[in-house]
Parts: sequence; structure tokens; C-alpha cells
Amino acid sequence: MRQAHAKLRAMQRRTLLKLGLTSAAALVVAGGAVSWLLPPGLQAGGRLSLAGREVFLAVGRAVLDKSLPQEEVSRQRALDGLLNRIDTLVQALPPHAQAELSQLLSLLASAAGRHALANLSHPWPQASIAELQQALQDMRLSALALRQQAYGALHDIATSAYFSDSETWPLLGYPGPLKI
Amino acid sequence: MSQLKDPIKDGIARGWKISGGTFGPPPEKIVCDVAIIGSGAGAGITAELLSKAGLQVVIIEEGPLKSSTDFNQLESEAYPSLYQESAARKTEDKAINILQGRCVGGSTTVNWTSSFRTPASTLQFWQDQFGLSSYTPEALAPYFAQAEQRLNITPWLMAPNENNALLRRGAATLGIPTASIARNVKGCWNLGSCGLGCPTNAKQSMLVTTIPAALELGAQLLTETRAERFELANGRVTALICRNVEPNGALAQAGRAQIATKVIAKHYVLAGGAINSPAVLLRSSAPDPYGRLGIRTFLHPVVMSSGIFAQKVEAWSGAPQSIYTDHFLQTQAIDGAMGYKLEAPPLHPLIFASTVPGFGQAQHELLASFPHNHTLLALLRDGFHDEAPGGKVGLRADNSAVLDYPLTDYVMDGGRRALLSMMEIQFAAGAQQVMPLHEMAAPYTSWAQARAAVQALPMKPRLLKIVSAHVMGGCGLAGTERQGVTRPDGVHWQLSNLSIHDGSLFPTSIGANPQLSVYGAVNRLAQGLAKRLTGRDVALA
Repeated sequence: MRQAHAKLRAMQRRTLLKLGLTSAAALVVAGGAVSWLLPPGLQAGGRLSLAGREVFLAVGRAVLDKSLPQEEVSRQRALDGLLNRIDTLVQALPPHAQAELSQLLSLLASAAGRHALANLSHPWPQASIAELQQALQDMRLSALALRQQAYGALHDIATSAYFSDSETWPLLGYPGPLKI
Repeated sequence: MSQLKDPIKDGIARGWKISGGTFGPPPEKIVCDVAIIGSGAGAGITAELLSKAGLQVVIIEEGPLKSSTDFNQLESEAYPSLYQESAARKTEDKAINILQGRCVGGSTTVNWTSSFRTPASTLQFWQDQFGLSSYTPEALAPYFAQAEQRLNITPWLMAPNENNALLRRGAATLGIPTASIARNVKGCWNLGSCGLGCPTNAKQSMLVTTIPAALELGAQLLTETRAERFELANGRVTALICRNVEPNGALAQAGRAQIATKVIAKHYVLAGGAINSPAVLLRSSAPDPYGRLGIRTFLHPVVMSSGIFAQKVEAWSGAPQSIYTDHFLQTQAIDGAMGYKLEAPPLHPLIFASTVPGFGQAQHELLASFPHNHTLLALLRDGFHDEAPGGKVGLRADNSAVLDYPLTDYVMDGGRRALLSMMEIQFAAGAQQVMPLHEMAAPYTSWAQARAAVQALPMKPRLLKIVSAHVMGGCGLAGTERQGVTRPDGVHWQLSNLSIHDGSLFPTSIGANPQLSVYGAVNRLAQGLAKRLTGRDVALA
């Protein structure tokens, strides 16, 4: 754990999340790991890459656990819908925000980053809801700004995207806008 | 889609001069009398007055032209198309989420209509601390009155919706006075969708008032065009370089070259709003001999408390923000402990779900209570104390603007006290449970429990949920060039043909929802500018 935190602090010294547009494809990971072999979290244009989808699928499962349909087939359909709406949401973000998110997702998708940032030992698709929620809770209350910021991005994007769809509004008891 | 008339579509059909976005690329070079950057509160007032004075005006707006036909009252459409950074603009440390408009009409197209004249105590502070002797309530009164008439700003006489009535009832139980908020609406349908673009054109935003007036008088509007930077020489602006932008704000590419428009004017008016206006000057390497550019940018940092009631509240429905209290602005000196104004914001599903902290079971329960949820917000009055000096605007590597707003202990203490005040009011109004928006808070079922819990919570950035809908300062007015960026008459201290006419002028936060402060101050500045440029007297009403 201490080693992981030391790695994180080193990353912060390399201003991980302050890299601009020109560095969008690059990522610095402490400890000498070869950074530019890590796949980015977003494709050019802002759609989630496979790495990005893997992370958000797990985050969605955990954050929206009780709000997603309970039945398996409906749940999968809802998660697919979530990922599509995340694509739409992210494509509307400005370049600097897309670059940061791409780096964050890339880091989280890597084993080293998943351990260091999320404190998650199992790969995203295999982690249980309880493990994922524990990881989120850890990030949320972390003393490290980077981990809290990461939690904020994952939480806000997952919830904004999910509840932007009118099919989710019955959960909220929201009838939709008045027709005029 | 609304079946009502759309005055913007009608104007376009009549031949308004509009380019950019779906209107086709703007010309590569434009020569005019006055170039106005932005199309929001200050830009609109300026455009109308200068056009009335007979000047050839060009308005350059970074966002798209959207109007009532487009306003479907859907957050999924409104946030990406009408707001800066999809309504997710954040301060540098990500601790504050900023709502700011980015479309024709600026923030006035998406605000919640609350209209207050600049408080006398704020103006007194400006006179005393910033040498702004002409900024008195009496001197500004006729300019406020014209703006109120022009934009139909009147007290809201309809009964408040339950979300607002709860503030009135809870406060009354505690002996705290409240009052009605004046609104810039005409024939309001009481829908509650102001923040998503008014679908009935009742909201008297710049989109349906001053910008059309200017366009009718021959002004030209460039949309989806960002003012990149000024070219400067010998203490004057010689040109404005503009770029086309994509819907997400990225610079548009055409082949290898970026499309640019060069605007050459006799006078330039920067009215892109706080954060954006300082950013244009930073990108221009504008003179800043005393290091005042971009500093003292204020946010009215907002903290919130969410309450659940037995009765239906349906906080998405009905005129938003119709009741307020200034009580907590007056319980101490303006430069004492941080004061705050209380209001009740409208709630819509996307912003509610993403703003309330939590996930999993806890989040689900809160979301299921949505129809019974009433939230209070506190606008913290920053800028009046040494430990609330606001933030500083900077540029990222890609030249985009970013606000670094350090959250001091003084501000966080204000946050704690504001939460305590709001929770007490909510319990007094009969709340079954109250939860302040803080990552470590839980729902509390009594005032005693809530008070003890919040007194113990660590008030730290990113743990305490903070948002902002009012961005002010960064090109501050001052009576001397050491203390600000802008002269009292609105002209830049070092650039003689550049005026700044927007909320970035304010030397402190306003201490009230700021749109009418911009209208009133800029009304006076623009009338002065019109007189200097043409010799003519013009008025807003």
C-alpha cells in the first residue's frame, strides 16, 4: 500500500493530469513502466476505447447497483445503454477534459493503475460489486487529491449518463417535462 | 418541440446577418465600428445601445444560436449545447463545478431569472476599497430602472411552488424574514425549465431582447466562433483574431489550416464573462503591469442541504427560485465571517443524481425520494475578506481557460455555518430527514443529530460538495490602475480602444444573483461609450 502511494505521489509530481492536448497519447507511470504502450481510455473523437468501456462497465455496476434493473438480461441492456450514453456525454466534453479522462481511464485499466489509484486487486470485469464499491469508497475519502478527483469523474459521468435517459426516470418519480 | 412562435427563427427568415455553425462560415475579414465579444448580459445591453447610436456592430459568440424551437426542456440536450464545458466546467483542483452559459444570450439564456439590484453594502465596499466613487445606489438607480423596464423585471406575484414555500415556512418558524425574488419574465408559464432554455420565450434573456434589437438595427452576429486573441500595438487593439469551434469547443479544422476570421474595429468590447474575458486578454499577452489580470475571480461558492418531506415537493415544477433570505448576510459585518444568501434551487433528474453524493443503496434511496426532495442552497459571499480573495484565471497548454480557486479555511467555515443554517430551517419546515451534500454525511433525522454531525465533519475541498452558477471578477474595475484592469468608465487601463462590459468587472462578488448588476452597470458604461463614439444620447428604456 505504501509503495502504491509512493508511486502515486511520483505520478503527481509528473503532473499526470495536467498534460495538455499534445500529450494526449502519452502517459507517465512511475517506476519506469513503459507508458506509451498503455492503450488510451478514449478513442480519437472521444468515444470510449475497450479499456475505457471495461472500467466504466464495472463502475456502472457498482455505482448504479440498486438502480439498474435486477433481471440479468435487462441489466445488461441497461449497462449497454449506459456505455452508449457515456460516449455521447464524453464526446461533448472539451478537448482538455477528454484528454484528462482518457489518461485516467488508461491508468485505471492497467494493473498498476488499478492497484494504485483504485486499490482494486481483481481485474475490473471479475471484481465483485462489494469489491468495486469498497474501491470507490476508498477513492472517495482518500487523502490524495488525485484519487478523490478520479472518484468524482467516475461517479459524475456514470450517474449523469445513466439518468439522462427518460427510461430511468420512473425510478426518480420524475414525469418528464410538461408538453407545450 | 414547442409549437409557439420562435422570434429568433422569424428574425433569421427576415434576413438577420448571422454566420458561423449551420449559417455557413464567417467571412475571413470583417471591418466594423465596434466588435463585441460575447452575447450575454453585458454584450447584449452594449449591442443594443451602440446599434441604436448608429454604430455598425459585430457580435462574436463562441456558442451556438439556439432558440425556443430547440428548447425541449431536456438536460441531456441543454447541458452540452447551452453551457460551458457541458455544464461540467471545474476549478483547477476539481473542487467546484461551475455552471456558465455558452450560447447566444450567454448565461442569461440558462439562468433562473433571479433579479436583484447590487446591494448598497457591496457598492459601499467598492467605493471605499476600490476608489469607485461613482458606483453609488443613487447614481446607478436610473440605469437599473431602465434595465428593469426593458427586461420586464418585476416582483414574482404568483404563489411560490412548494420547494420555495418550504424555505419561507421554515424560516418563518425561526423568525427569519424572507421575501419574493423579482424575475425577468413576461407571460411566464410557471414551468420551471428556465435552466434548460425557456421554451415559451417568457424569460427576457438577451436572446429574445437586446440581441434581436441589435440585429434588427443591422448588427452582425458570428456564432460558434471563438475570440482567440487581440493583436495589439502602441496601447491599442488593432485586430481581433477569431476561430471556428466545434460543438464541444474544439478548434475546427478545415484541411490543414484552421479557419480564422480577422475583425478590425475602431473600438472593441470584451463581454465574454468572467473566466472567458480574462482568458482572451491572457492569450493576447495584454499589458498587465500590476498583475491584476485574472485575479480576484469570484464564484459565490454554493453549498447545499437536501431534505425529504412527507408531502410531494416536485422541485422540478414551477418557477424556480421565487423566495430568498438575506438574513445571514446581515448577521455580521460585510468583512467579518462569511455571509450567505439562501435560496431553493430547482431540481432536475440528471443534475440531482450527479450532484448528490453517494452510490449504491444509499444513492438509490435518495433518488427514489426525488418527488419529496427539497434542497436549499447558500451563496457564500466571497471577496470581502482577506481570506476570501477569490481565484485566478490561467491558461492550459492548449490555451483553454482554467480557474484556480483555492478554498481557504475561512470559506470552508462559511460553508459549515451555511449548512447548519439550512438544515435548521429544513427541520423547522418539517423535514423527515436532512442530508447536507458532503461525502461523509448521512441522512439525519433530527436537528440535534444534524447539528452535532455537521459540526464534526471535516470541511475539505472535494468532501464538501461545492458548485457555482455566478462567475464574477478577473478584469476588476478600479479608480487607480494599480488596483484593477478596468477604469471606472469601463475602458481597459492600458488599452485605450478596449472596453470590458461584463461580470468580470466586479471587484468583489455581488452578494446577490448577478444578472441585474451586469445590466445596470453596463447600461451606464455603454451609454457613456455610445456618447464618446457618436455624440449621441441613447437609453435602454
